[in-house]
Amino acid sequence: MFRVNARILFVLSLALFTRLWANGEESSDGIELFETRIRPVLVESCYECHSVEADEIEGELTLDNRAAVLRGGRSGAVIVPSDPAGSRLLRALQYDDPELQMPPGGKLPEEVIADFRRWIELGAPDPREGSAASLETISSRAASHWAFKPPVRPDVTESDADKWATNAIDKLILAELNSAGLSPAPQATRGEFIRRLYFDLVGLPPSWEEVQAFEEDKSQEADRKLVDKLLESPQFGERWARHWLDVARFADTKGYVFKEDRIFPHAYKYRDWVVGAFNDNMPIDKFLMYQIAADSMIQGDEDRHHLAAQGFVTLGRRFINNPHDIVADRIDVVFRGMMGMTVACARCHDHKFDPITDEDYYALYGMFESSEEVQDEDLPLRLADKAAPQNVGVFIRGNAQNRSKPVPRGFPKFFTVSAQTVKAGSGRLELARAIVSPENPLTARVFVNRVWGHLFGEQLVRTPSDFGLRSEAPRQQAVLDLLAVDFVESGWSLKWLVRELVTSSTYRQSSQATPELLVADPENLLWGRMNRRRRDFEALRDGLLAVSGRLDKRIGGESERIDTEEGGTRRTLYAHIDRQNLPGVFRSFDFASPDAHSPERPHTLVPQQALFLLNNPMIQVVARDLVALLATEGSDDRVAELYRRVFAREPSAKELEQAREFLKRGSPNPLPKDEWSFGYGQISFSNERATVKIEPLNYFVENRWQAQIEYPEKGFGHLSVTPEGGHPGNRTDCCSIRRWTAPEAGKMVITGELARPSENGDGIEASIVSSRQGVIASWIVEQGAQLTEVELPVVESGETIDFVVGCRGNAGWDSFQWKVSLALESSTGWQKWSSQQDFRGPRPEPLDLWMQLAQVLLVSNEFLFID
Amino acid sequence: MTMRSLPVVSRRDFFAKCGMGMGGLMLSGLQSDSALAAADQLATRTPHFPGKAKHVIHLFMNGGPSHLDTFDPKPILDKFAGKPLPYKNLGTERPTGGVLPSPFRFNRYGQSGIEVSELFPQVSQCIDDISVVRSMYADVPNHEPSLMLMNCGDGRLIRPSVGSWVTYGLGSANQNLPAFVSLCPGGYPIQESQNWQAGFLPGVYQATHIDTQHVTIDRLIENIENKRTAPSDQRRQLDLLFELNERHAAHRQHDSQLEAQINSFELAYRMQMEATDAFDVTRESQHIRDMYGPGVQGRQMLIARRLVERGVRFVQIWHGHGQPWDNHDDIAILHRKLAGECDQAIGALLADLKQRGLLDETLVLWGGEFGRTPVVELPKEGANAGKMNGRDHNHHGFTVWMAGGGIRGGYVHGSTDEFGFKVEEKPMHVHDLHATMLHCLGFDHERLTYRYAGRDFRLTDVHGQVVRELLV
Repeated sequence: MFRVNARILFVLSLALFTRLWANGEESSDGIELFETRIRPVLVESCYECHSVEADEIEGELTLDNRAAVLRGGRSGAVIVPSDPAGSRLLRALQYDDPELQMPPGGKLPEEVIADFRRWIELGAPDPREGSAASLETISSRAASHWAFKPPVRPDVTESDADKWATNAIDKLILAELNSAGLSPAPQATRGEFIRRLYFDLVGLPPSWEEVQAFEEDKSQEADRKLVDKLLESPQFGERWARHWLDVARFADTKGYVFKEDRIFPHAYKYRDWVVGAFNDNMPIDKFLMYQIAADSMIQGDEDRHHLAAQGFVTLGRRFINNPHDIVADRIDVVFRGMMGMTVACARCHDHKFDPITDEDYYALYGMFESSEEVQDEDLPLRLADKAAPQNVGVFIRGNAQNRSKPVPRGFPKFFTVSAQTVKAGSGRLELARAIVSPENPLTARVFVNRVWGHLFGEQLVRTPSDFGLRSEAPRQQAVLDLLAVDFVESGWSLKWLVRELVTSSTYRQSSQATPELLVADPENLLWGRMNRRRRDFEALRDGLLAVSGRLDKRIGGESERIDTEEGGTRRTLYAHIDRQNLPGVFRSFDFASPDAHSPERPHTLVPQQALFLLNNPMIQVVARDLVALLATEGSDDRVAELYRRVFAREPSAKELEQAREFLKRGSPNPLPKDEWSFGYGQISFSNERATVKIEPLNYFVENRWQAQIEYPEKGFGHLSVTPEGGHPGNRTDCCSIRRWTAPEAGKMVITGELARPSENGDGIEASIVSSRQGVIASWIVEQGAQLTEVELPVVESGETIDFVVGCRGNAGWDSFQWKVSLALESSTGWQKWSSQQDFRGPRPEPLDLWMQLAQVLLVSNEFLFID
Repeated sequence: MTMRSLPVVSRRDFFAKCGMGMGGLMLSGLQSDSALAAADQLATRTPHFPGKAKHVIHLFMNGGPSHLDTFDPKPILDKFAGKPLPYKNLGTERPTGGVLPSPFRFNRYGQSGIEVSELFPQVSQCIDDISVVRSMYADVPNHEPSLMLMNCGDGRLIRPSVGSWVTYGLGSANQNLPAFVSLCPGGYPIQESQNWQAGFLPGVYQATHIDTQHVTIDRLIENIENKRTAPSDQRRQLDLLFELNERHAAHRQHDSQLEAQINSFELAYRMQMEATDAFDVTRESQHIRDMYGPGVQGRQMLIARRLVERGVRFVQIWHGHGQPWDNHDDIAILHRKLAGECDQAIGALLADLKQRGLLDETLVLWGGEFGRTPVVELPKEGANAGKMNGRDHNHHGFTVWMAGGGIRGGYVHGSTDEFGFKVEEKPMHVHDLHATMLHCLGFDHERLTYRYAGRDFRLTDVHGQVVRELLV
């Protein structure tokens, strides 16, 4: 306190001095009031946050001199001279408005507030001369922010030309490389190039024959024909649709919505619409507009299918149907996805970093509030304008109960140069137009940047959904701007853009960097080489299906679950996406989270990926089917065929040799034994010793082991073993038997409960029999339940324990449940088994050596990475 | 120790460096080769100075447990029940009203006599091993940024998690298990895997997430078992895979992502065996299992102990998916239920670590992303309509506690104001907590840095002070 007071004294003495030459126009009363009653308060209570000396200036407001006071802050003027009621400063001091209270530490005494009121009434006389210090404000920064200025096509002078450069992109890239004293990497081989193109354009590997033909025909014509062929193939739309679905946070389900049906009806039609739009090369401005405002754009019935485009807006998470969260998600997906602006941040207060106010947010909110959802029979949820559109007031601090006066529906103010006023309707059409307006500096850049990222592995702007004030201009802004301008010029043609990029020499560079380049540009910011890329989830799974002949190439239609035993056969694009319970395989392989708009996918390397590739049943059936495709006979020929199918190339002599070595043992090692087996038979006694005669049950039908394919069967009746229990056969020599074999010696505890639910019939007889110790215990159960607990102080390795259940003459109604738990304490600790959990059907055959070899090729880096 | 981007070590160099010192790890032939390359990034490293703690177990009560109902008693709340606070309610996420007393009784425990509420009877038995920090504060009252701050030291930007930093700094003491494990029953907390992200650190430092609602190993860790290839055959497959990948890499000058991919298969292979053992709590004797109690909390705490025992560096245990402790209403019922689920298991974990001599080298941290308000949350449309029996988020003041790993026992650090709304004495920001944790592990938080995008980054950015009163 002392320090502050000293400062006040200093200021006061300075003030008295100042007064000597104070401006004569201002009444000396007013000046005296200011000096004695106002200035000390400003110093003590306001300057901490509202002075050029403050560590951090709040609200872009400084109060250091008259000019600064009159300028006001981010929210506008704070003082209207002679109008206390109209002065924001006084409102803040009065503490009446819970959202506008200053100073934040507590209300000032009433007499101080009265002084301020009087001071403003007097015209806010203030002797402090000087101009208002220029502050770095959001608007000053926004005015000069690179991304908020329209892109200008850079001059690409002919003098930059070089044999290396194919198009304007190359000239710009080369110029930057050269100015850093670097040169581009050599061009990729034809083999690398065709694999890269297939990966990027259609997401599937080329066949050996295609690679052969391309390697042989070295003409430029061949290059052009290949690019055209891939751009025209329907797989192009499938590949590129998935990129857009990441942006659109697409899923087939609503997320958590209590007990409501979680499936979005017809969500797949939005996905199919995107595929179709890309295949038809729909202009991207139209593509974007349809997704916001198709309902106001379509003319007749032939356009009706475009209503599916609005799935972009509607297919987000439902947030337990909280309307405010739903709208926030929609504003977010539209603005981050299309314009690279994080507008949803302004839901509770003005954006902290960008020129977006809370009023801007609620101007957009009103557009969605004025739209209603329509569920047609054959389309995904779509939007239509409500009969009576309405404006919405700012939810003060995001609180729906506390709203300002309504804000007119409209586009964020900073960008209004590209927007029309909303006159009627919800305003979504105006919103869509403003986004694709030629005046909008962001949309084309944001789109072009994403496409670049998909083709080059990294974007030019590395924050692809945030082009706001925090985003730095990319090192190669000239390339971005060139592409943005030419892309619009091309009629917003995605295929034009992709062709322009993939036919550049920049794209065609090898992924091998020279050592000097690696040191000079480790992050490849100058694009002097291609980035080596690992197959994304879709390209990996689709590639596995394709080379094994399992791929179902149907285009479009309802989604398919891929978290099944064999993992499905359609392209991954068609996988059912349950946003609430996304199967682990999606997450392990860096799938874009469908919870919210996804700017880009993470690139992680986690052991779960390798575990999937080593152990998942899907990879096993892929290996099996791949081997089944091999049409040749001799061992080396078959290996060569395998290489051609997986890598689209011939194996080297060394590789043939390795394969021979791998295959020479002939058959795979047997799988480790399972402790459980399932059979039938009876207990027989010889020399007072009980032994169990057991025959295997050979048929596994409907999760039940049985003796014959028919069930029930004449001779065996209902004889079976099931996860919970089973049923004895019709005769006493047809007991139902579950056998457990000890993997090692130890002490054993068996617990369980045997139950026969039926009141009819004559009951069952159950025994636990050891191969070494004979009958351990027996029970007869006529109806009801019986605990079956025994301890075996010693069991030997290989000793069998049989759980035998027979009928007592009459097998009618003898269905039983017998769940047992086994605990074995051996030298290595405790091990446990459960008859129910461990129950299983027939054991699969081990993968043969050919399949094992195929699997190795499929998970090798040559398959996983694209050079 | 400033570890810039990790040194690139070729396998040959690595052999030369390690000689036979790593003999235990060397298998035979080529596969051991690649195993060692993996070991390089996760090889055990020496910190700046000898730290007491070698492992961390972070018990994350996600959603924000109320300090006022657990470890920070405020009897004055009873007097003010239903009345307004004598000062204006501080800004939190949602509108709040009058004072809401704690429905739970507090008692003094241990020689230290620290007060703990009836919600944690077992934890309170260990209070003399615990430092209760009653003066924590964070930056904002929202889950996402607060989770990010607590886990990654920044509420907004993508930064490596504490576990990633620790694993980067210390490496792993077990090459056959993931060095950093995140246990969460039922799925993910909010912000999902971002909570344990590696950020700009190499991906190998990201946590492996395990859904502990499952019991059997093949469901705990997807694809951990191969049902169609004998282990010996799989070894042959990996040996061949290694040869193919080596030749592939030889034609491409050093590329760390190819290298890392090769290593990931070896790690996965070894995980199959070691993880099967580590995650199988049925291998514990019955009295130990009884001590941890039934249910998922007992199981995951026991798994955590087994992992730490095997050298895993950092285990984060989440109470559950989503944000279970986020009791905007029905706090009397829900907090009792949640504490009832985990109290026995946490108490058992502390006692068990202690009886094995592991507590000294294991830093245990308990807490959420923030605390809760002393005033009732007002009903809000769509959220808790009609209910006025819960508390809103509170980042102005909350409690965490720590035990073991060089942390003093039976000590209370700092305090909140008389109503428990805001820190008062010895305020301790999350950055200070991180600095102190790193200190226990042997790191000067200002010197554990990583060069990325032209700048040396650290967990505590430009903040953080080690709180020495908390140290033994």
